[in-house]
Amino acid sequence: MTQEELLSRLSAQLPQLEKSAVGVKDYVTMRLKSASDLPVVAEILKNELGFDYFEIVSATDWLGPVKPEGYIRNPNPNVFLPEGATPQNMPGATPGVHYRPVFELLWVLANIKEKIRVFLRLEIPRDNAEAPSLTGLFKAADWQEREVFDLMGIRFAGHPNLIKILTPDFTVGHPLRKDYVHVKDKYDED
Amino acid sequence: MTASGSGQAPPPKKVIPDPVFNEKNGRLLKDTRYWPTEVWANPWASPAYRRGAMLLIGIIGAIFATGWMIGELAPLGDTLYQLIASVASAGGLPQTATEATWIMIKALIILHVVLINGLWAVWWERKISAHIQSRVGPTYAGGFHGWAQTILDGIKLLLKEDITPAVADKWVHALAPAIVVVPVIIAFAPVSFGSQLAAADIDVGVLYIFAFAGISVIGVVMGGWASGNKYSLLGGLRATAQLVSYELPRGFSVVPVIMFSGSLDLSVIAHAQAGYWLGFIPKWFIFYPLVGQLAFIIFLIASVAETNRTPFDIPEAESELVSGFHTEYSGMKWSMFFLTEYGYVLLACFLLATFFLGGGAAPLPGLEIIPSWIWMLGKAMAMMFVFLWVRWTFPRFRADQLMDFNWKFLLPWSFANIAFAAAALLYLS
Amino acid sequence: MTRTSPLAGVKTDTLFVNLGPQHPSTHGVLRVGLTIDGEVITKAVPDIGYLHRGTSKLAEVRGYHHCVVLTDRWDYVSAMPNNLVFCLAAEKLMGLKIPPRAKALRVLMCELNRIASHLLFFGTYGIDLGAFTPFLYAFREREMVLDLFEMCCGARLTYNYIRLGGVMVDVGDNWIAKTKEFIEYFKPRLDEYDTLLTYNPIFMVRTREVGKIAAEVAVNWGLSGPNLRGSGVNYDVRKADPYCGYEQYDFEVPLGKSGSCWDRYFCRVSEMRQSVRLCEQVLATLPPGEFMAMGVAKVPKPAAGEAYAHVEGARGDLGIYLVSDGQASPYRMHVRAPSFINLAILQEMLVGNKVSDVIAILGSIDIVLGEVDR
Repeated sequence: MTQEELLSRLSAQLPQLEKSAVGVKDYVTMRLKSASDLPVVAEILKNELGFDYFEIVSATDWLGPVKPEGYIRNPNPNVFLPEGATPQNMPGATPGVHYRPVFELLWVLANIKEKIRVFLRLEIPRDNAEAPSLTGLFKAADWQEREVFDLMGIRFAGHPNLIKILTPDFTVGHPLRKDYVHVKDKYDED
Repeated sequence: MTASGSGQAPPPKKVIPDPVFNEKNGRLLKDTRYWPTEVWANPWASPAYRRGAMLLIGIIGAIFATGWMIGELAPLGDTLYQLIASVASAGGLPQTATEATWIMIKALIILHVVLINGLWAVWWERKISAHIQSRVGPTYAGGFHGWAQTILDGIKLLLKEDITPAVADKWVHALAPAIVVVPVIIAFAPVSFGSQLAAADIDVGVLYIFAFAGISVIGVVMGGWASGNKYSLLGGLRATAQLVSYELPRGFSVVPVIMFSGSLDLSVIAHAQAGYWLGFIPKWFIFYPLVGQLAFIIFLIASVAETNRTPFDIPEAESELVSGFHTEYSGMKWSMFFLTEYGYVLLACFLLATFFLGGGAAPLPGLEIIPSWIWMLGKAMAMMFVFLWVRWTFPRFRADQLMDFNWKFLLPWSFANIAFAAAALLYLS
Repeated sequence: MTRTSPLAGVKTDTLFVNLGPQHPSTHGVLRVGLTIDGEVITKAVPDIGYLHRGTSKLAEVRGYHHCVVLTDRWDYVSAMPNNLVFCLAAEKLMGLKIPPRAKALRVLMCELNRIASHLLFFGTYGIDLGAFTPFLYAFREREMVLDLFEMCCGARLTYNYIRLGGVMVDVGDNWIAKTKEFIEYFKPRLDEYDTLLTYNPIFMVRTREVGKIAAEVAVNWGLSGPNLRGSGVNYDVRKADPYCGYEQYDFEVPLGKSGSCWDRYFCRVSEMRQSVRLCEQVLATLPPGEFMAMGVAKVPKPAAGEAYAHVEGARGDLGIYLVSDGQASPYRMHVRAPSFINLAILQEMLVGNKVSDVIAILGSIDIVLGEVDR
């Protein structure tokens, strides 16, 4: 199955999807029109189109560039710069990029036999972020959704065991959010 | 000292290859490293291997020569006994004093057999395992192949802090190593180290040894339970199941030997194997067709299992139970467990040599000039090598597979072997 | 006739055992909370995160060149594919063209590293099952691979060798000769391993019927690498989504049959043979030319966009999702860590097995905690 065939099949079979304006390079990227469509779409993809391999679930916080002061001591890792020099890669806003208070979720489903994969993306508001869980269809989603919940703070409705997985129990907040500020804990120096 | 310019060329200097630079980047590439791939492919091509083999042959020859010079030990023992008796009678002491002194001396010798065996076996195991694993093992301590390594380790263990966990049952925890180590020393009493060389000539020597060897498991269970550690507890429980089960095929595999020799006395069993078939095949039980080999294999496997060594080391499975029943032991208490393990290995080796390899009998006619205790020791050490070899070659069984192997394979075949032996005896008589 | 158990009426209790974080066989700082009934496991809860270093977060304030260093620390046993996958994703964002020699060197290094990683698995799996000797045999050969890496890039563990646009340095003739010597030496060693461990009866009886994963279950749990192929699913990123010119080399994808521990083990041992084949082919056809693309910026600022790249690492499908907003640092980096996803199946697989099998199953999944926790 080539990418064009896949695109035509998807647009014929799944009206809930539309081609994403900005795609992931070299791959078919589709946008979900609403969060509630996801389980239906995933089920059709899995059972009818053979996309039975859950590759990743990821999320991007589009709030804007991160502020490193909150959690990183030396934002400039270039040790060869003299003292007091301007850091080379201090993140800053790029003109033209549409920063907005949303999370963009990304699912990658693969069809192993046809050697093709489809990228599904979905924008959800940043406040009270919640998306449907795919653990019922793919067991692989279990820990990956927990990871996204732990680091991004997106709740997956219907996940049987949505608890922290990577960060320690005492960590406050969700570190991969762009507005995360580290709260001092017992392991911090001074 | 020869004068300079006498025409003798100086030895060629060792050439160290130049470091090679990567021309493109001017980067130093460290590729002067030497991989001994040719040596690994054919070790005998290297002079070091040939030298080592010559040294080994020399050592074995020296041991035989020493034994030949010393001769049998039993007459020496008799002389010593006469000396004690004469001293006692000169001092006006009763006959019992002589006997008591003599028993004390024998007990001390047996004790030191177990202790020195610990030192020797640990060093040997390290060396053998190292060479099996393409390493060299201890090298520094003592100079010659690290011979002093275990002595220094023993000193280290004596000086180590003795830790008792807070949740441990202190008395049981302290008592367990003693209960483990005492039976192995006692069990050595009827072992004959050569002709007329047994501390106690017991008519039921085989039963005596098996009876005492079975006591140690109580100490293992005590240690596992008293440590207050879940891994230790699991190890102790596994040890019980395993040791109790393997007692059975171990005992039954010896029954054919007892049937052929007609005695439970180890010295009699060894003597029953004297002589040769056709003038050169020794009449050892291992050479009895089918019955002997089967009994030998079953006894060997069961002995490895009894000593908790690798294919059967589930009670102390390092990768599963950390160290099993001795996880929470340190210092000398810990080394007691190891002393016991090696003591049982040595006991099993002496039993194998006595039951199946003719005891102190020479393997070929004409070699009787070398005394029996050298042959006995040599056979036991050969068996110990088998133990180490097995230990460092095989993976570990799972607990239930180990039980299956025992109850479904070893035990039926040991029964069958008894039947074979009985049939053979009927046919021969 | 109903038979009553002799233990009926005896009050029994389950035992909670903490397997890890400090345990000889968890291969790092994994903790598995086991509830056991006798020797049988009734519940298993893997607990990870002890080695979490937040590389995705760190990447957000580091330049693209600096991020390559971070990748070394995920799967520290085979760091070359980690370097490679980040570089592939970043190069997609930047639109860099990689010279053919650099591509071939990347393939060569990744395959050598796969050999080194699988050797470590082979050795430690033997230790897990109580056979200590294969470990040192495997390390003898692994040392030689690490020597090769040291000669090539100066590092033995965290290479940082594959860089944006190509590789760090070119290899010399001397290095190629040494690599050929290693390959010639290594081929007969694989047969030695088979006699030592693969076909050992005790080893087979320990692993053949243990930890079976059906093909559908493996796909559903998202397993990848030898864990998936051990169940008979033919999915190898090198074939399914070729990168770095893997399509021009001739190699097979070893598949297992029943998905047992032994099948996963055997897939890895067979993969070493295929890696040797690949190395030989690369060495025979190593194209001349540059080893680094021209025009790689010192501080790359790729145009805003997203890229996903994945490679077949030693442990499976290692993927990376990279978002750029035109700045000098990635805006978002998400890692699809194969060890992390492979480990998730543990909670389901362990139940009903014996304590000894926990070690056999955990070892056969072959995790690296640096990658699980990232």
